[in-house]
Amino acid sequence: MKDRYDHENIYWIPILIIFVFLLPLILKGISFSYKYYLFVLNLAGIYIILNVGLDLLSGFTGLVSLGHAAFLAVGAYTSAIMVDQLGVPFSLSLILSPVIVGLFGFIIGFPALRISGMYLGLTTMGFGFIVKRIIISFRDWTQGSAGLEVSSPVLFGYTIKSDLDNYYLIYTFVIVAIIIGRRIATSKIGRSFMAIRDSEQAAEASGINLSQYKMLAFFISGLFAGFAGVLFAHTSSFISTDHFDILLSIYFIIMVLVGGASSIYGAVLGSLFIVLLDNLFVPLIEDQIQLLFNTQAGDIQSLIFGLIMFLFIIFQPMGLYGMWLKMRIYWKLFPFNPRQRFT
Amino acid sequence: MKKIIGVLIVIGLFGSGCVKRAPSPGITDSEILIGNVQDLSGPMKELGAIIPNGSNMYFEYINDQGGVHGRSIKMLIEDHQYNPQKAVVAIKKLIEKDQVFCMFQVIGTSPCEAIRPILAETGTPLIAPATNSGTMSDLTKQAGDLIFHTDTGYDRQAEILVDHIMEKNSDAKIGLVYQDDDYGQNVLLGISRAESKYGVTVQKESYQRGAVDFKGQTMNLLKGGLTDVIIAGIVREPVVIMKTAEAMNFKPNFYGTGPTIDARVGKMAGSAGEGFTATNWSYMWNSDYPGPKLYRDLCEKYDIPQPYIGLYHYYGFATAMVLVEGLNRAGKNLTRNSLIKGLESFNEWESGTFPPITYNRNDHAGVDKVQLVQMQNGEQVVISDWLE
Amino acid sequence: MPDLIIDNLTMRFSGLVALDEVSFSVKNNEIFSLIGPNGSGKTTLFNCINGFNKPQNGKIYFNGDNLLGKKAHRIIHSGISRTFQNVQNIPFMTILDNILLGANSRIDALDTLKRCVSRDQRKTEESMALEIMDFLGMANYEQKFMMGQPFAIQKLAEIARALVSKPKLILLDEPAAGMNDQETREIANIIRDIRDELGVTVLLVEHDMNLVMSISDRICVLESGKILALGKPNVVKDDPKVIESYLGEPLDA
Repeated sequence: MKDRYDHENIYWIPILIIFVFLLPLILKGISFSYKYYLFVLNLAGIYIILNVGLDLLSGFTGLVSLGHAAFLAVGAYTSAIMVDQLGVPFSLSLILSPVIVGLFGFIIGFPALRISGMYLGLTTMGFGFIVKRIIISFRDWTQGSAGLEVSSPVLFGYTIKSDLDNYYLIYTFVIVAIIIGRRIATSKIGRSFMAIRDSEQAAEASGINLSQYKMLAFFISGLFAGFAGVLFAHTSSFISTDHFDILLSIYFIIMVLVGGASSIYGAVLGSLFIVLLDNLFVPLIEDQIQLLFNTQAGDIQSLIFGLIMFLFIIFQPMGLYGMWLKMRIYWKLFPFNPRQRFT
Repeated sequence: MKKIIGVLIVIGLFGSGCVKRAPSPGITDSEILIGNVQDLSGPMKELGAIIPNGSNMYFEYINDQGGVHGRSIKMLIEDHQYNPQKAVVAIKKLIEKDQVFCMFQVIGTSPCEAIRPILAETGTPLIAPATNSGTMSDLTKQAGDLIFHTDTGYDRQAEILVDHIMEKNSDAKIGLVYQDDDYGQNVLLGISRAESKYGVTVQKESYQRGAVDFKGQTMNLLKGGLTDVIIAGIVREPVVIMKTAEAMNFKPNFYGTGPTIDARVGKMAGSAGEGFTATNWSYMWNSDYPGPKLYRDLCEKYDIPQPYIGLYHYYGFATAMVLVEGLNRAGKNLTRNSLIKGLESFNEWESGTFPPITYNRNDHAGVDKVQLVQMQNGEQVVISDWLE
Repeated sequence: MPDLIIDNLTMRFSGLVALDEVSFSVKNNEIFSLIGPNGSGKTTLFNCINGFNKPQNGKIYFNGDNLLGKKAHRIIHSGISRTFQNVQNIPFMTILDNILLGANSRIDALDTLKRCVSRDQRKTEESMALEIMDFLGMANYEQKFMMGQPFAIQKLAEIARALVSKPKLILLDEPAAGMNDQETREIANIIRDIRDELGVTVLLVEHDMNLVMSISDRICVLESGKILALGKPNVVKDDPKVIESYLGEPLDA
């Protein structure tokens, strides 16, 4: 039997990692305002970690979650309280908080055993509202809706404070998250998740315990969201319940869909695409509108997002990653049969 | 090929953002660049367009006269949709990408709280945050030394209202309806101070931001047999509460803090809003003080559309005067430090729009008194002196 | 020694009797076919064995195990796997991954952890599937996505998925449905090979009479949930009741 991995090209992975670590220096070289770009990239990084988890849950397992902003909130507040009020070191909180969010995911997973699709989406959305109320009512710990100041992360005695430090901290975990996400997706667990989404009968006949795996999906998703939450709280220094509203959960779903559901790279591409669009290109367009028509552009962002969603679902349901795969196949086969489709 | 062109476009767009500026951010020989973050598409979007328009009107007036020490003022406005996360992103963009000299008039308490770490990190001053929260002038908080607050805090407003009520009727039973967020918390702080001062208990009812139905709260107030009710809301809340109360034939004296001073409250509430008393921390825009007079003249001069003219537009105008005076006092050699020094030299400075403002190293609070404005026959009438 | 014993099985769906006191047994290493008109209870019987349906009455034993108390996802651990009448594949996975899905019962948590750190585990897992794919003659399809594959390949992949768990008994639900003559002959060979080379007992539901008659050791004819006839193919084929109710006219063997 031939060995399948001898021809697999994986050299680009270390190159990509080196690029990720050199990017801040490149940005610093070409732009005066590199700190803002780093800041946007940091935000994208946090969302990537969360969306890898969301993709495993909603993309792979088909359990729609509209409560991921709440997962993020639980992670952020748990870590903020543990580090600043209970004196737990940041490195320990980095392990404990995700586990706590994962267990939270378990609780949310219970309804998923009975309901699915849109109803599950609504249930998780309700969970988002509940979490917000709980955070507000634990005023002694969370300072209610006034928001909570959070200390900067301290790792091995080094305080991580600047955007550059944050970048390296976040992107180290982004790479770890992508690798773990890939490993989960291509393992028995990932196959089982997809089987649950597409055919519960086939899954059950193949020996997959449906309820166990659905709970596992929520747990894993919670772990990722918890990680993202910890990083979010400590790198942005201030969190409040207003950060984690329902719109954010919807953005997460948009990111996963635009990237291409049920592919880890898709979640990564989608997060980067939407965050960069939101923070670099929409303001640019707004500035242009202000310049040309001398009026405030107002809510152009929702318009653009809605349009993108619409176009992607109609013309590119496989998302950005699917687009890339198609392109790759096209080039591979190029002179011959260029019409071959991705099937 | 298309891909390559796309990449080139992207690089071009990035590149366009990095025009070199002078080392002192936001300052050139002819221009001062300031940043403003407003709510242009969120729950307070009506104010988001009006307030900075008022400021811009004054800046235009100053620029037409030759600017501040020869520099004209240019204001960049970003949108935060009343979301602290977006406010942080917007501030980051203004400070790091657009390289503004200082921040001006960021609206909303939680957005203002959320941007403190960035202000502290970059040393950017924030002048006249558009929130009445007393926490803004708390110098012990992060970036407290960089924030110059103009408005009377909600806590002070609530205290003054209770003082006023108790003075009129020492047996008054007082109720409070508050928004369950940082605004409401700040009001509660003042109320609890007043409670211990007079040894009374105020009946407290809360609601969620964006609520439209207040039957439950009003019913509870009715059951409490109250004589006076303070509403810590914005515009819709006092209107709906007063109308609901009228329908229940429950007629206490209604008072409001902060944004309820909006003239629309009385107009929309109609007969139910008669006698509604709100706190005001600037001279009324339609009064005969020199500031309001200048304001009305400029509105005419610059053709400001009728719907804009009013309290909030005037507020934007008034805060712009504070900034411009600070820039004036900072002198020709403008830096962030000299701006802070200039502002801290305010001693009972009379702008004509606000009551006299004093700033110094230990006090960034600005105005700390209010006057009471009552709806009488559909008109806003000042019914008290400046109360402290 | 009978391998699978169905004893007095009754299954009702709110009034409709799908299976009515059905009893038979399948011997080890036998190709046993169930035939009968649509709605006669063949698939229901599969679902009962498989744990999807819970019959009201009766017993099912497999190698001495009582299957009825077990949850559906535990059945495969007793050595029974199945395919579906309407193909149940995962379109957005490669064929290889689809087949590996069936190997779930053979991969435990420790293996999954091992896979995270070493490539060897991944190779071991995939060699299980590749072995079966070679056996079924579909070795070149491993990296193709299931979506858009020809129906025959999808059917084969499903059989491969059922086989990769190394079952003792495989339930094939209409493997030749929708196939042309050539493909049907291939399926017949494959079913024989499954029994002869892998030593797996086959319980088959099929409408293609030529296929059924050519490969079956014994045939059971169901009608309206009752057994009409049971025996060797040439006996069943000539049974007048079967001819009347199902075959319509005598088959030319």
